[in-house]
Parts: sequence; C-alpha cells; structure tokens
Amino acid sequence: MSVYSYFPGCSLSSSATEYDKSFRLVAGAFDIGLDELEDWNCCGASPAPHHWGGDLGILLPARNLHIAGAGHDSMVAPCAGCFNRLKYAQHELSHNDELRRRTERALREPVRYQTEVLNLVQLLNREIDPGDLAGRTRGRLSGIALGTYYGCVLVRPPEIVLYDDPNDPVKMEPLLKAAGATIPHFPFKTECCGSYMGLARKEIVLKASRRIIEVALECGVDALVTVCPLCHQNLDLRQQQINDAFGTDYHLPVLYLTQALGLALGFSPEELGIDAHLSLGISHRTSSFDNTKKA
Amino acid sequence: MIRFPESINAGAALLAEIEKRSGQRLSACYQCGRCTSTCVAAFAFDYPPHRLMRLLQVGMVREVLASRAAQLCLDCMTCSMRCPMKLDVAGVIETAKAVADEAGLKDSERDLRLFRRGFLNNVRRHGRLHEAGLFFWFNLRTNNLFNDAGLLPPMLRKKNFHFVPPRIRHRRQVRRLFQQINGRQG
Repeated sequence: MSVYSYFPGCSLSSSATEYDKSFRLVAGAFDIGLDELEDWNCCGASPAPHHWGGDLGILLPARNLHIAGAGHDSMVAPCAGCFNRLKYAQHELSHNDELRRRTERALREPVRYQTEVLNLVQLLNREIDPGDLAGRTRGRLSGIALGTYYGCVLVRPPEIVLYDDPNDPVKMEPLLKAAGATIPHFPFKTECCGSYMGLARKEIVLKASRRIIEVALECGVDALVTVCPLCHQNLDLRQQQINDAFGTDYHLPVLYLTQALGLALGFSPEELGIDAHLSLGISHRTSSFDNTKKA
Repeated sequence: MIRFPESINAGAALLAEIEKRSGQRLSACYQCGRCTSTCVAAFAFDYPPHRLMRLLQVGMVREVLASRAAQLCLDCMTCSMRCPMKLDVAGVIETAKAVADEAGLKDSERDLRLFRRGFLNNVRRHGRLHEAGLFFWFNLRTNNLFNDAGLLPPMLRKKNFHFVPPRIRHRRQVRRLFQQINGRQG
C-alpha cells in the first residue's frame, strides 16, 4: 500500500465535503493510503496571487510544502486550485532566491519544498490499473455520456503544472472509459467557468458557466465530470441562478471525478454525497445509476 | 481625440518595468484580436485584451494600470494559450495589476478588491478560509445582505456551510508569512 500526504484545502473541508468524502472512499477501494497534512493552511486560492502584489500566492502554499517535506515522498491535492498554487510555489521557491529568503524568515528555517505534488487525476492514473477498475465496475456507467471538464488551472500554465495538454487534456478518459462511460467530444473542457467572481461580479460567472453547460448539452453529455471545487460551485450550485438569469431550464448533473468512479465501483449516491447535489437532474440520473447497479 | 501619456518618459519607464517583470516583448503583438475573441470576461472589460496590449505598446500605461479589465481578468490563461506570437497576455495583464497595486491605484472594481482583501484577511485570522465568515462580511460591507442567499438552503442541506470558523494551531506562523509581503496592503 502506497501512502501519500493529503492536502484537502479549504473547499474540501467546507463547501465541497462530498469531494473529500468520495475521494477517501475511492482511495480506500484501491488501497491508497491518505495521510492528512498536519496543521495545513489555506493555499491562497485565487485572491492571493492577485492582490497586494501577489507574493502571498507563493508564501501561503510554501508553508504547506514545508510541512509536507517532513512527511511522505508525494502529496496529493485534489482541488485543482490548490494543486496549481502548490506547483507555482515550488517553481518560484526554486527560481526566486529573494522570495525564498522571505519565506524562510517567516518559517524560521530552511524551507523544504521538493515533495512531489500530484493532482487527483495524476494520482488515480498512477495507482489504478484500468483493467482492474474495469473488472470491478462491471459496466455500471455503460451508456452514460460523461463530459470531461478540466477547467483552466489544472493544466495551465503548462510550464508550471507540467501536466497533460493545456488545450486538449485527456487524462481523465482512461479511468472513465474503464468504468464503462462514453466520452463524447466536448470542446469546452478547458473553458473558464468564471473563477472566483461569484460574490462580487456574478454576471461574469453566470455567463461563462452558462456557455459551458450549453455546449455540454449540445454535445450530448449526461453529466459533467470535474476535479475543481470552484468549477463545481459555479456549474452546479449556481445552475439555478443561471436558469433564473437567462430563462433557461438546465438540469445538468456535475460530478466530481471521485463521485463518478465511486458510482462505478458500486458505492451508493448517498455515500458519495451525490444526494446532496443541487442539479435537479441528478435525482433522475442517480436512479438510473442505481438501476444499472442492480441490473 | 488623441490622448498622449502625461509624460512619455514615465510611460516608457513603466512599460519597461512591465516587460521586464512579465518577460514578454510587447512589440510582438500585431493586434490580431484572438485573445479578445477567446476571453470569457471581455464583455465586462472597459478595454478588451488586445486593446490593453495596444495601449501598452503606445505607452498609455496608466490607462492599463487603472483599468477595470486588469482587475477583472480571471487569469484562465486562454488568451496566452491562443496567442499566435506565444505572448503570455494574461501574464502581462497580471503584471499590470501587480504594478497598479504597488502604485496604490485602487479605484477600479472596488467590490472585487474588497472581496480579495476580505478573503486574505480571513485567512490571516484563521489560517484557513472561513467561507461563511467571508460571505456575511462581504455582503454586509457591500450593503447587499441577500446576495447569493439562494445558495444557502442547498449548502445547509449538504452541511457544507460552517458557522464555526476553522482554526489552525500555528496561526502565528501564517501571520508571519503575511508580514513578508512587499506590496502595499490596504
């Protein structure tokens, strides 16, 4: 059994607890050990790199890298935003001596920043053998078209995150295909959902997320699959606001990758926190997931 | 009306600074407009991305620093991915925003700045983000108490809205990280 340091981040501990829950279930099913990082702090998310000159965007995640440096060889950050910030911090700490010295003044010791940082898709692709997954899922997702939605920060900027194709990422596909789902062509997989503007400039989020949902439906997608809690919030939690703003009637379920895989493995929607989803369509889809399970 | 920068030299110095920090050669932009056509937020900008690049090229740096666009950029980097000259357009806008912060320009997009500041102060206090605290604080400060109120019932149902703030043990260390910021705070 391989054990990883686990950086849940603020979203997975509050507004996205179902992501944490489903991740732990899927990890457990494949004997992936998760050791939550001791006393971790917020990675700074979107505001830190974009305010007060941006230094906090490196300083805050640096402390988490430092803590992780005393633990396991690799750390997983399922939140795409946290993953991006941790990778940025690693890059800056190794290239920017001045900022590293400031970090060390705050930490009061030489910063350890070399721990390997993995995103969720990376971890699952490393630990899960598609053949094994296929054998255990017995086609529970067959006939369901999943739109793989990566968002922006998981794959950009490519020279920092060093992961997948920044314009046409594909790494979720082997897992979902092994679980029996079909993956239709979905060209909006890296279109921005509107990021952190929800509270302060809602119209940007609603317009950006609406386009994504609209194109997903045109592509014949039954549900979107994401690894980013902020994208999830914008596409799922705000779907009713989108309907109210544009007079649309969207009911597109949005699942975390771990929820989709959890369903495929036979966990119940309740265990995976899917009953909690806002999109009305999910109850319909969930019952069809249930039916396939019983069949 | 043709507008010139207050002082050509001041514009040139700022421009050199932005080029140096972002590592981008702005003269390479030939105004094809692809950045603007891929930008999901451009509809809310005062200057679309390709126009920001042009303003910089002609030395009208102040307009860019004070623009709403610099504040509203989502940093999704789609423009940078699409630029035929491989210019990091988002990086240039980001740099302009950082320079504006340092220069103390803070009149555009006050609500959005307030949100970012509230977010960071919240993290400074608790070590982690207390989402509910930020939510109520922001809505009170902007006199918009029912902003996003419709999201609360589903979040409460999910037990995803926590009234008690998180707390980490070494909050002092997090506060020391905040003391290491070079840019202006406020």
